[in-house]
Amino acid sequence: MNQKNIDHIIELSNELRWQIGDDFHDTLTESMYANASNIVKNTVQNDNSKKRFQLDSKIDQIVTSKSFGFPIMFLILGLVLWLTIIGANYPSSLLANLLLDTIYPSLKSLALNIGMPWWLTGFLIDGVYLAVAWVIAVMLPPMAIFFPLFTLLEDFGYLPRVAFNLDALFKKSGAHGKQALTMSMGFGCNAAGVIATRIIDSPRERLIAILTNNFSLCNGRWPTQILIATIFIGALVPKSVSSLVALFAVIGIAVLGMVFMFGVSWALSKTVLKGEVSTFNLELPPYRPPRFWKTLYTSLIDRTLIVLWRAIVFAAPAGAVIWLISNINIGNESLAIWIIQSFDGFGFLLGLNGVILLAYIVAIPANEIVIPTILMLTVMVTGIAGGEGTGVLFELDSITDTAHILKAGGWTLLTAINLMLFSLLHNPCSTTIYTIYKETKSVKWTAFASIMPIIIGFIVTFLVAQFWRLLA
Amino acid sequence: MSNYNPIWALAIFFFAVIVLFIFFQPVKGWFWILKKYFKNNEKTIIEDILKQLYHFENSGNKVNMKTLVQVLEYKNSSIVEAVKKMTINHLIYFESDILKLSEKGRDYALRIVRVHRLWERYLADKTGFSKTEWHNRAEMMEHKLNDDQTNMLATRLGNPKYDPHGDPIPTKTGKIAQIKGTELPLLPVNTVGIITHIEDEPQVIYKQILAENIHIGSLIKVIENNTTRIVFHSEGEAFKLAPIVAANLTVAPIEKEVIVEDNIARLSSLKEDETAKIIGISKESRGESRRRLLDLGFVKGAQVSIDLLNPLGEPHAYLIKGTSIALRKNQASKILIKKK
Repeated sequence: MNQKNIDHIIELSNELRWQIGDDFHDTLTESMYANASNIVKNTVQNDNSKKRFQLDSKIDQIVTSKSFGFPIMFLILGLVLWLTIIGANYPSSLLANLLLDTIYPSLKSLALNIGMPWWLTGFLIDGVYLAVAWVIAVMLPPMAIFFPLFTLLEDFGYLPRVAFNLDALFKKSGAHGKQALTMSMGFGCNAAGVIATRIIDSPRERLIAILTNNFSLCNGRWPTQILIATIFIGALVPKSVSSLVALFAVIGIAVLGMVFMFGVSWALSKTVLKGEVSTFNLELPPYRPPRFWKTLYTSLIDRTLIVLWRAIVFAAPAGAVIWLISNINIGNESLAIWIIQSFDGFGFLLGLNGVILLAYIVAIPANEIVIPTILMLTVMVTGIAGGEGTGVLFELDSITDTAHILKAGGWTLLTAINLMLFSLLHNPCSTTIYTIYKETKSVKWTAFASIMPIIIGFIVTFLVAQFWRLLA
Repeated sequence: MSNYNPIWALAIFFFAVIVLFIFFQPVKGWFWILKKYFKNNEKTIIEDILKQLYHFENSGNKVNMKTLVQVLEYKNSSIVEAVKKMTINHLIYFESDILKLSEKGRDYALRIVRVHRLWERYLADKTGFSKTEWHNRAEMMEHKLNDDQTNMLATRLGNPKYDPHGDPIPTKTGKIAQIKGTELPLLPVNTVGIITHIEDEPQVIYKQILAENIHIGSLIKVIENNTTRIVFHSEGEAFKLAPIVAANLTVAPIEKEVIVEDNIARLSSLKEDETAKIIGISKESRGESRRRLLDLGFVKGAQVSIDLLNPLGEPHAYLIKGTSIALRKNQASKILIKKK
């Protein structure tokens, strides 16, 4: 065939397409779908005797009813969180006992026996090993409890009903009802919450869910919140109610996180994300008995271990950095001290201090090591007694002793409140950042998700500090 | 830190916020105004003049310099300068004081119109921008794409014939389809027809039409037509419009032979114990979300009923092909049904 003929055919086909018109493609697709469904109707036999409706619709009527729907939801979510936080204490202390109190000293003595130089011991054992052990001890138990519970609810079919109930709320902020689920997942772990956004199939709403997941207070941050609230806010009121007040302070921070989540979702959908495609639909699958063992297995492998592995990969270098900056001296001060002194002015403006800012920089890999890092650095800066040595993370069993160190570091009620705010509003941990990159495949959105919360954090803590100083 | 004072810190902060706001506030921010000012080069002005002339000539109006200066938001001196250049390049010529497009100028204008309408089609099908933004975004884009890029865009969109408002898109060779139908206020009572075009300018009126939830491709029946208002029924609902608003709708009357499905309603109007058969999906549902609805089984002939009402009012869950699917109101309003 020569070129002329080909051109002629292409010309003709364009001409014909033009004549057929715009509706043609739509009509063709639609009739294909309609035909397919007709064939199915005529050939596939349905057992209509045991319709799903009886039991399922009874459950649906209750869990989506006006009077019971929301109480049931809050009850279940509260129960899951409570089981996670309380239930994780025991295995956490067991793990800490094993990894920090048993293996760590024996590693140290082993290193001493084989004559390892002090800097290598410090770098590997005090730095890398300790940070990794810490992350495992604090992170593993809550995740191993939270994820299976959550997956069981998902498997049973309850979670889509939560999304159904709450969709109208999320729609107001331009988000998808399923964001309620990824947000709740974020209370367990933001990285897992970001992965969970795969259930949102609308591109715009999924991006919103990814970018705002960090506003869910994750497992790594709950202990910090509880500790600081107990020391500084619980102490404001009589002993009998102090733990209750501290608890409400922490819940207040979590709720504030949700407020920011809704606000930022709204702002994003109205500005930078308005051009992304948005499609909504939500399938309400039939209920089914959860497959307990399978769920346990998959949630442990898919969610817990993957997230834990990523956290370990990132925590190891962080441990090394913490040890190094505390032990490398420039002039007559360690690198850490120099950095802290240069941050102090900015930290003061935010109602924080240089120690906290440095701790949040080195603890980007895992929020779990923020408090140990702060304690270590505070002891180093103030030169008071306590701690395990420069560059060695530690935590104290006694809350009074912890309070003693922090107050020696110049902490006030303002520092405590702003630390709680900053713990909620700062960049996601590196595991989450990496996961956001994996999920969005976009450097732009990853950078945005990392920088946006910390700017909000700076602004909020700055304003609180200034007004506090003005009014107090 | 010795001279630190919280009032000063706050003052500096709020000053910075205000400055940032003045520069970057949407639309009116200085940054955007400056950006626009520097982008308004001669090419843009020439193309905008061509486009205006094209639209005026198509509607049978005559344009002199005075009207041109009034409709275009450029400095008078730059318009005069551009017109001078265009006459030298034989894009336009004067017949006494009336400006006319030459053959060459007409071709050029058609190319601009083609990019504009293709881009609106693209925004409608492939992005999530709201309808009110399509026009302004296309206004910017029409000056940016060259011929090759335009043809690539057209191929990617499947060489569409109409833009999302129902305006015909000129082809590569300058061929252009006709809008079928007449303006709504000119139709006698009891006419049955299909909405073929919704004019998107001026924006005030377009926004009113959007607020009424009127869809292109909808079947309508004129009920009342007088100088104060026009009432028509469409998809189970009654719409009342002022004549000036209705003039922006073009309706193609349907010949007698075509069987008209009556009792067509929108899925959003389905009540709790009713069942219905799906007639189709409105043209307003486009691209990805249309395909998704088809995937889920919202196809012609399927049975649908309400499975669950939402405690907060929306979305309701619909039972379709044995599965419960929740749809928001604005989606359900784009699925057409016939109640039983």
